[in-house]
Amino acid sequence: MRVPYSYLREQFADSESILRDIKGLLESTEFTLGSAVAQFEESFVQLCGARHAIGVGTGTDALFLTLKALGVGPGDEVVTAANTFIATAGAITAAGARPVFVDVGDDFNLDPARIEPAITPRTKALLPVHYAGQPAKMGPILEVAKRRGLPVVEDACQAISASIGERLVGNFGYAAGFSLHPLKNLNVWGDGGVVVTDSDELDGQLRLLRNHGLRSRNEVEVFGYNSRLDTLQAIVGNHLIKDVEAITAARIRNARALDKGLADLAGRVRIPARDPRERHVFHLYMFEADDRDRLLAYLLDRSIEAKIHYPVPLHLQPASRRLGYQEGDFPVAERQAARIITLPVHQHLTDDQVSYMVESVRRFYRG
Amino acid sequence: MRVRYVDLPRQFEDGTVAARVAEEFQRCQFVLGPQVAQFESRFAAQCGTSFALGLNSGTDALFLALKALGIGPGDEVVTAPNSFVATAGAIVMAGAVPVFVDVDVEYLMNPAALEDAITSRTRAVIPVHLTGNPVDMDAIAAVAGPHGLQVIEDAAQAVGAAVGGRAVGSLGIAGAFSLYPLKNVGAAGDGGMLTTSSREVADRVTLLRHHGIGSRDACEVFGYNSRLDTLQAIVADAALDRLAAVTETRIGNAAFYDAALRGLAPDVVVPPRRPHVRQVFHTYVIQVEARQRLVAHLDGHGVETKVHYPIPIHLQRAAEHLGYKRGAFPVCEAQSERILSLPIHEHLSRDDQAYVVERIREFYRG
Repeated sequence: MRVPYSYLREQFADSESILRDIKGLLESTEFTLGSAVAQFEESFVQLCGARHAIGVGTGTDALFLTLKALGVGPGDEVVTAANTFIATAGAITAAGARPVFVDVGDDFNLDPARIEPAITPRTKALLPVHYAGQPAKMGPILEVAKRRGLPVVEDACQAISASIGERLVGNFGYAAGFSLHPLKNLNVWGDGGVVVTDSDELDGQLRLLRNHGLRSRNEVEVFGYNSRLDTLQAIVGNHLIKDVEAITAARIRNARALDKGLADLAGRVRIPARDPRERHVFHLYMFEADDRDRLLAYLLDRSIEAKIHYPVPLHLQPASRRLGYQEGDFPVAERQAARIITLPVHQHLTDDQVSYMVESVRRFYRG
Repeated sequence: MRVRYVDLPRQFEDGTVAARVAEEFQRCQFVLGPQVAQFESRFAAQCGTSFALGLNSGTDALFLALKALGIGPGDEVVTAPNSFVATAGAIVMAGAVPVFVDVDVEYLMNPAALEDAITSRTRAVIPVHLTGNPVDMDAIAAVAGPHGLQVIEDAAQAVGAAVGGRAVGSLGIAGAFSLYPLKNVGAAGDGGMLTTSSREVADRVTLLRHHGIGSRDACEVFGYNSRLDTLQAIVADAALDRLAAVTETRIGNAAFYDAALRGLAPDVVVPPRRPHVRQVFHTYVIQVEARQRLVAHLDGHGVETKVHYPIPIHLQRAAEHLGYKRGAFPVCEAQSERILSLPIHEHLSRDDQAYVVERIREFYRG
């Protein structure tokens, strides 16, 4: 049996209706900020519950443009998690600011207790990550933010439709960035991103910044950027946004089956505690495993395309050298980097594939 | 009769692009798929450079060229005030200060004015091949060279243009091209290309466009996300197939206008020409008396025209903090009140053009 990580061929096996709309676009040729973008933004508002959604070029740009709109720039610091995908720190650096990393907890998300010590007079924002689709501990994070008067920008790139209680991610901070990268739970056929916010002011700023700062065809209000969600990608998004609930439900179902199948391996594998009040949407199914590298090799050998997200924490990347961190600064993130493994959890897995993964991990530890 | 400024749907009506998109999506390599590499290599060949890299936009091509050259806060970059705002925008985005110099009768950076704009903080010059007309790069290099300045070509409007057989994009340390849908080689959304023959610049931009990631797990430098979508590479690749024909048609259309409108001088001034220069006429810009009334007259007769651009960058609100005043660039400012872009696209018929000419003639001669 094979368990591939990517599922795009299955997902798009029957895409006649999307292709029909793309053919329609080639006739209307409203390729730049066309009506499909506005329609997608409106659907995204419905899905996330925020007042505004702004389509941009990428999830990275969603974070970057929000930081720019907040006035974050050279000399400023932004606090984020030490274990996320590189783009979170990249967006901070792109804005000219310095990423300040904080260690994470057993849920792979920012440890709220460690945020406050990382705040300095130069801190301009907190950037918690809903890593893997697991909502960060937003209650305590918002408390710190309020006490210190700092805006919170949520990195929700991996977490569409995740929630804490009834509150969806994207609704906790001043704004949130989402990615539409092809491997995300809500995906398009290339790069794309979205910012959501309740702020009319930020909405207006982002619409300027994403389109060269143009107030009208001829008037330039501010020097901006070119970071627009392509109409073509919005068309794809308009089709797929209807599937988000079903995709999320399937991923959660697969994750529960994996949780259950691996539960009695406790001691060899550590699965994060699941809080029933939180909705983890399982962009990634990630856990800590003893003897990780051998497990990974074993699974790959059995045609299970497991991955590691990621083996080197941000503060130990070559890119971070000038930030002055060293090994030992973030013991939890570092321990996890050596132990984490990610299994396929996507919506196109069959029950047999899920059982095969469980059986394979069990066989590895139990012989 | 109706003469559109652009007729984009015509470009896609034969169904080639739709078929190629339908074929690709089954492969699902949406991010930096093989068609991106294929398009890059064809684009490099077109420009006569060693490398071409697919990016998210022409703006990003300028921005990443600046970043790859290490240009940032505290630096100045000299450019033209009559370009699309993205040229100055890319400089600001890099953290540097745009410094403008006036243009000449061809709407291009005036090499004679360049020297005066150079300070101890100047690091680079970005001449703009506006309208698809190549800047006199030898004259620019003659000024920039002794100061040790890098020259980056803004070739966003000029794919296929050349000076003495040397293609734009190969005339500086790097060239920036836009694949915006209305360009002579356009995608069906945003896209851009950076050309260079410097391996160092190419390697740096390859890192920067993809989060600074060298291998999957090692982040060499904090970068950006600016990739040409595979689907857009497919669309642009089909457009590149047609570039030679499109360019010849536009050059032919321009020659027709030239001949037909020359007799209307001084009310109408046709674009100047230089020998051994291949202008590709992304836009066909004339200067006219009583522009506003002419535009209304043409519009009333179904002829769409545009102005590229009515407000120079140094007079935009975005540039207020740079401290320029009206009068700073008299040539550019005078042109901004007189320029008018006529439809020049490859789908125009001679009848369409004759109609445009006739409507202009009747406006001035009654």
